[in-house]
Amino acid sequence: MNQKIKRILTIIIIVLAVVGIFTFLFLFAGKETFIRTTLSGLTLGSLFFLVAGGLTLIFGLMDVLNFAHGAMFMLGAYIGWQFYTNPTFIFGLLPQVFAFSSGVLLTSYMKPYLIRWKLPEKWVKALPRIAYVLALIIAIISFLGLDILELAQTAMVAATTATVGDPLAEISVQEPLAEYWFRPIFIFISGALVAFATSKPGDKTQFAPKEKMNQKLLVPIVLFILAIVATFIRETAPVVILLMNGNWRFIIALIVSIIFGFVFGAVVEITLIRPLYVRPTFIIIMTLGLSYVIRELVQLLWDPLAYQMVRPPLFAQPGKAASLLEWLRFGNTTIDIAGVTFPTYRLFVILLGILMFIFISILMTRSRLGMIIRAGVQDPQMVEALGINVKAIFTLVFGLGVAMAALGGIGAGPFLPIQPLMGDHYQTQGLITVVIGGMGSYVGAFIGALVLGMARAFGDYFALKYSLSTAIAEASTVIIMIIVLLARPQGLFGKKE
Amino acid sequence: MTESVNNSDLLVVDNIQTYIGQFHILEGVSLRVPRSSITVMLGRNGAGKTTTLKSILGLTPPQEGKIIFDGMEIQGKRAYNIANLGIGYVPEHRAIFRSLSVMENLKLAERKKGDLDRHAEFIFDLFPDLKRLYKLPGNHLSGGQQQMLAVARALVPDNKLLLIDEPSEGLAPILIQQMMEAIEALSENTTVLLVEQNFIMASQLAERYTIIDDGRSVQSGTMVDLVKDTDLIHHYLGASIKTREELEKIHESEN
Repeated sequence: MNQKIKRILTIIIIVLAVVGIFTFLFLFAGKETFIRTTLSGLTLGSLFFLVAGGLTLIFGLMDVLNFAHGAMFMLGAYIGWQFYTNPTFIFGLLPQVFAFSSGVLLTSYMKPYLIRWKLPEKWVKALPRIAYVLALIIAIISFLGLDILELAQTAMVAATTATVGDPLAEISVQEPLAEYWFRPIFIFISGALVAFATSKPGDKTQFAPKEKMNQKLLVPIVLFILAIVATFIRETAPVVILLMNGNWRFIIALIVSIIFGFVFGAVVEITLIRPLYVRPTFIIIMTLGLSYVIRELVQLLWDPLAYQMVRPPLFAQPGKAASLLEWLRFGNTTIDIAGVTFPTYRLFVILLGILMFIFISILMTRSRLGMIIRAGVQDPQMVEALGINVKAIFTLVFGLGVAMAALGGIGAGPFLPIQPLMGDHYQTQGLITVVIGGMGSYVGAFIGALVLGMARAFGDYFALKYSLSTAIAEASTVIIMIIVLLARPQGLFGKKE
Repeated sequence: MTESVNNSDLLVVDNIQTYIGQFHILEGVSLRVPRSSITVMLGRNGAGKTTTLKSILGLTPPQEGKIIFDGMEIQGKRAYNIANLGIGYVPEHRAIFRSLSVMENLKLAERKKGDLDRHAEFIFDLFPDLKRLYKLPGNHLSGGQQQMLAVARALVPDNKLLLIDEPSEGLAPILIQQMMEAIEALSENTTVLLVEQNFIMASQLAERYTIIDDGRSVQSGTMVDLVKDTDLIHHYLGASIKTREELEKIHESEN
């Protein structure tokens, strides 16, 4: 009982302190400034949470500290921006992606036959290597002459020169089908060779039962058909997308980023992280390295420049809306909130943060998933012995975490300059958020993000008012982290080890 | 369906060979588990009993040999697929999920929605303690309670076979008695393959035995025959059983 009273007392003290601080700020800054700064704080907090949400999900459930999270946030922004501004790049590469995955996913069909193949010992070792080399050569051939850089630049050009009203101005002509057709076929063969190699022909220590073989062919066939379809719509699809209503296009861009993030995360988990669960330090170094690779790749494709994404029409009409309804009808850039002019897109960012928090809460509390992963981190073998496919669940969670990062990236796209380092700053803040909130606690991450956002916003306000350096606002987050860690080493909502 | 299999056997393990890394752990284990009975695997520490259980479940898949469960070959399948055929596993060292509550531990074991609700009464009859501790996290339970939870977890779904590894390990005598009664009760509608070091407990519970030594199954038969063969017991198990009479007395008191 004593502990309960203690807990209630702590909560009361915290609530009183928070109310006190806000009343003080309100009286000190005046109503208008207070509301404006609070709203900025909420926007910043929401942005921090968009990064910290996926970070804390992956860390809390899987004990993996993903240092490539900021890079994935940035990548999500780029993909969404490409799709929104000029999707030529995405549709230009889609056939290759589908064809390659179709080939690779043949593994589950090939494996049961190939491992039963009777081969001499040296061929068992040599064949996969030969297949990998061949796959690489064929993949290179399939890309020979395809100007990916030019494809990537279509959106860059559109971003710098697009005139409102004619989104098609920058649609460029692509390779005719007569020259293009061999690319998806070659990359499919390359993927199939990779599948051949990973099947380990002749390796008796491998296991793969011959059952439900037709079912195993289903996914590769579907992907192959998608590759064919994607080949034919390479040129028409971008036009159709660009002629769409901008708001719908933006929503689809969000979804495209989420899907991209999920698939990218799943592939990273399966190929890079899965072999390293037994060596957690290696995962940190690997993700750190991955973040550099992603950043360099993005710089190679889109040059080390910053792009301003055009805001969707709902946030683009110059002028101030008097009410929420008026904004939704006319799509104004700013809105009047209790006498304060506030950009409407920032409201959207706040909404996105709240939606993500709700999503994570449902995921963690309502579903079996949270339970499975918490158990799986402790004893994956036993979870598997209960009849649960643990590996697939880990892939799913990592994919979800990265999808959240990507969604955060494109959500912040029309608000932040899109550039290769855009994720890094927010990753640092995201990590501080996670530490303040308590490693792995999503409620903690949410509260932590709010505290940090407010501290930054009011820090900026005071710095401006007393003409101090803005570095104070930046340092305030670290100072808060130090105070929290001194008082509660496990973070605000963390559990004691 | 394999015709040669005796239909009265729920599980047949035929000469399995299992490697863990470079180590050849099982060098030919064969055993059979008749339906609705308790079969016990005996042997010294490190003989390969736990590995045999894990090989059956596919956690350490055997490189060679056959495992036939309910008329179907299961060797080489993924562990979660094997478990979903209706095999429950109670690992040694009370491997419950310490970060989950008792309720969550049980919920996690559900294969269909409502599994826990259907079996809750039976489970709490066997282990009344768990009902009282329902909301407590696993790491707050005592050793005995954890062991009970580990067994209870295997009872949540409809399992045809339970693999139970050393349920009496480290338990106080009174709890061993309770555990024995529980296993006896649950064996009325489930088949059990048991690993047990406590020979008295094993001899009272099981109808059949298989002795594993150095990764090989060396002897199988009925428990009634085994308790008469003190030489065999001493040779393979080193059990500190004094006389044949004592053993027979224990066995008779059981029947």
